[in-house]
Parts: sequence; structure tokens; C-alpha cells
Amino acid sequence: MNLDFSQIVPYIPFMLQGIWVTIKFVFVSILIGLILGTILALFKITNNPVLKGFANAYTSIFRGTPLILQLMIIYYATPQLIGYDIPTFLSAILAFGLNSGAYVSEIIRAGILAVDKGQVEAAEALGIPYRTMMIHIILPQAVKNILPALMNEFITLTKESAIVSTIGYLDLMRRAQIVGADIYRNFEPLLFAGVIYWVMVFILTKLGSALERRLRASD
Amino acid sequence: MIKTENLTKSFGKNMVLKNINVTINKGEVVAVIGPSGSGKSTFLRCLNLLEKPTSGKVYINGREITDGRVNIMEVRKQIGMVFQQFNLFPHMTVLENVTFAPQKVNKVPAEEAKKVAKELLAKVGLTDKENAYPSQLSGGQKQRVAIARALAMKPEIMLFDEPTSALDPEMVKEVLDVVKDLAETGMTMVIVTHEMNFAKEVADRILFIDGGIIVEDAEPEKFFSAPESERAKDFLSKIL
Repeated sequence: MNLDFSQIVPYIPFMLQGIWVTIKFVFVSILIGLILGTILALFKITNNPVLKGFANAYTSIFRGTPLILQLMIIYYATPQLIGYDIPTFLSAILAFGLNSGAYVSEIIRAGILAVDKGQVEAAEALGIPYRTMMIHIILPQAVKNILPALMNEFITLTKESAIVSTIGYLDLMRRAQIVGADIYRNFEPLLFAGVIYWVMVFILTKLGSALERRLRASD
Repeated sequence: MIKTENLTKSFGKNMVLKNINVTINKGEVVAVIGPSGSGKSTFLRCLNLLEKPTSGKVYINGREITDGRVNIMEVRKQIGMVFQQFNLFPHMTVLENVTFAPQKVNKVPAEEAKKVAKELLAKVGLTDKENAYPSQLSGGQKQRVAIARALAMKPEIMLFDEPTSALDPEMVKEVLDVVKDLAETGMTMVIVTHEMNFAKEVADRILFIDGGIIVEDAEPEKFFSAPESERAKDFLSKIL
């Protein structure tokens, strides 16, 4: 056994800053994914073949290719087309937000379709317009179906966020690698980063189940 | 008031309604009966276009609603509907269930909608439940809320799709009593039901549907005592 955690002590503040960097970009990505996912989900359940086709093709492409490939296309390949460099933060939130949007749209679509068909019929029979029905009757009920799966998606996103280290974004993972290179020891900084990821996911999980419990209280 | 012309509905190759021609006058209470799978619910659901007819026409107050240019949402406001499975909005209280559509669709001010809702809830005997959620109600109570919700839109026509079929036997009467009271106010009503005694008592007219056609169209007295067709005789012998 050749472990010496004392060596990473001077680097702890540097690594802890990575938590904030990771949280910042994960949060923005989730937000983008959520908004985009909701819009795509609504496209998927309309009868408009163009919107439906677009949303389905979008989902197919973003779910059918590796996230790391999407990230690299945005960061390394797109500048070749548009002529200027995209900053790492922007690349990261674009790749993760666009990718997450595809997954979230499926989660929301399924959640909406799981709402009893009788609810739509009751609303239609009362002459309630589509928009009002969606906002006030269907979506509030769909949220309960959606939340557990959505929480899962956020947890996955938080963990997968580590791959932005490949484009040099200074997140928690990248910082652990830098420290490892600095002190010629990899186990200690990587283990430290691992614990932090685990704690973040643990907190998210607890938040998720608390939220679920509150929603279930109205049943 | 309600008129259908050659109303036909198919699901794929299965023709559920075949050239239905019927006229229902203002103030009439019509009970639609028949074996399950006969098309009676589909017939009812075609009257407010919850099912889109495959061919034929439906007129409400002289206006053809099957004409693609008619705004069906406008028409549906005048037609209340009560479902077998109640279909209350589970995330809203009883009062919110009843006030929602008048406020959002007819733009009735909140206070006014509340006042009307309370009157209707009193009429169906649920004054003490206005702040309850549907999950806290019995089936009979849910169905009475559903009736109040439909009436809150001040419809000219009420459609009932087997309103007591999902209820425990001891709750059937409380719902039928409400429907009966409503019939006495002169509301035009079409009721799909399996409750023969109720049909006999409340309806002005019986439509007996079997195999997608109206086999018999008669006054209850005559239909129940002396049905003309073999199919009606057979049906009645099985259930009475």
C-alpha cells in the first residue's frame, strides 16, 4: 500500500472550487434540457407531422450518438465552420443541454401520455381549449409521473458531466487530473473527486425523494 | 334540437354505427339502451364529436356540427357530458372542478362562478364537500360532482354515458335521483343506461340500439310492455 493523502491537502481548495464549476454548468444544462425537452415533448404529442417528425429525428440523433462525440463536434469541429472558437463553458452547456433535451422530451412525453385519457375527454366535453387543458389539467398531473425519471436524468447528467474534462473545462474531474499530474499520484485526487461526486448525487437523490413524497401527499 | 342524418361510425373495418337517423326534440329525455357493444356509447359520443363520425351529419340546434368549419369547442359549451368513470380533475378540489370551465371558457368572474358552483353543489347534496379532493369522495359523490361540473356551463343538452355503471349498487340511487330531478327541469337529455327501471320511469322515449342500428324507437310504456322486434324481446327477457 502506497497511499498518502497528506500530499493532496494543499490542493484541496483548488479541487473544491471544481464543485462550484461543475454545479454551475450542470444546473444551466439541466435548465436548457428541461425547457427544450418540454417543447420537444409537446411537438411529439401534436398531430402536426412536421413538428412531430422534427422532434423524433432530434431525439433519435442525440440519443443515438455518444455524448462525448457531440461535445467534441461542438467544441473542436464547429469553429471550423463558423470561424470562431466556442468557449469551453458554452460548448459544455450546449452539448449537455441539447443532449439532455432529447432524454427529457421522452420522459415528459411518456408522463403526459400516462395521464388518463378520460381527463382529455372531460376537458374537451367542457369546451376547454387545448392550451388551457395542457397547462391546467394535463401537465400538473403529468408532473407526478415525470418527476422520478427526471430526477434520474439529473443524476446521470451530474455524473456524466465529468466528460467535459476532455475539452479542458476546469470542472471537478479535470482538477483531479491536474492534481494527479502535479504530484505524480493519481489515486488520492481521483478518490477525493469520487467522494465528492457521490455526495452530490446523494444529496440530489434525497432532494428527489423528498419532493416525490410532497407531491404524493395530495393523493 | 339534436338531429342525425345517416350517422355512421367505423373503427377500422368494424362498423359500429350504421346510418343512424334520429331527431331529439327540445326538452325530451331519451334513454338509449341495448346490449354491450351495440354502439350506444359511440352514438352518444358522436353527438358532441368526442368520436368523429365516419360519415353522415349531426345537427345541434339546426347547425351542422360535422361541418369542418364549425368551431366544435363553441358547440361543446352547450352540451354537458357525464362519463361512466366520472373523469373529475384529481388535482383540483370539488369547488375548483365545478368553477374551472366557467371561469376559463365562459370568462365568468371568480365570485360569480363560485356562487353558481355552490348552488349546484347544494342541488346535488354536496355542500359539505366543496373543499374535498375527488380521491376523498365515494363513487356516487364523484358522479354528482361531475354532474354539477357539467351543469355549471349552463348547457342546453346533457349527455350521460352510463352514469351509474361504475358505481357500487348502494350508490346508484343517489345519482339517479339527481338525474331525475334534472329531467324534471325540462333539460334535453340523452342517457345511455343499463338501469331499465330508471329508463322506464324518467325517459320520454327509448332508443333501443343493437348492432349499430336503432332497432326500436318508442315510448317507455310501449317498449317495455310490448316491444315489436325480436331482438328487443330477447334483450328484455334476459335482463328483466
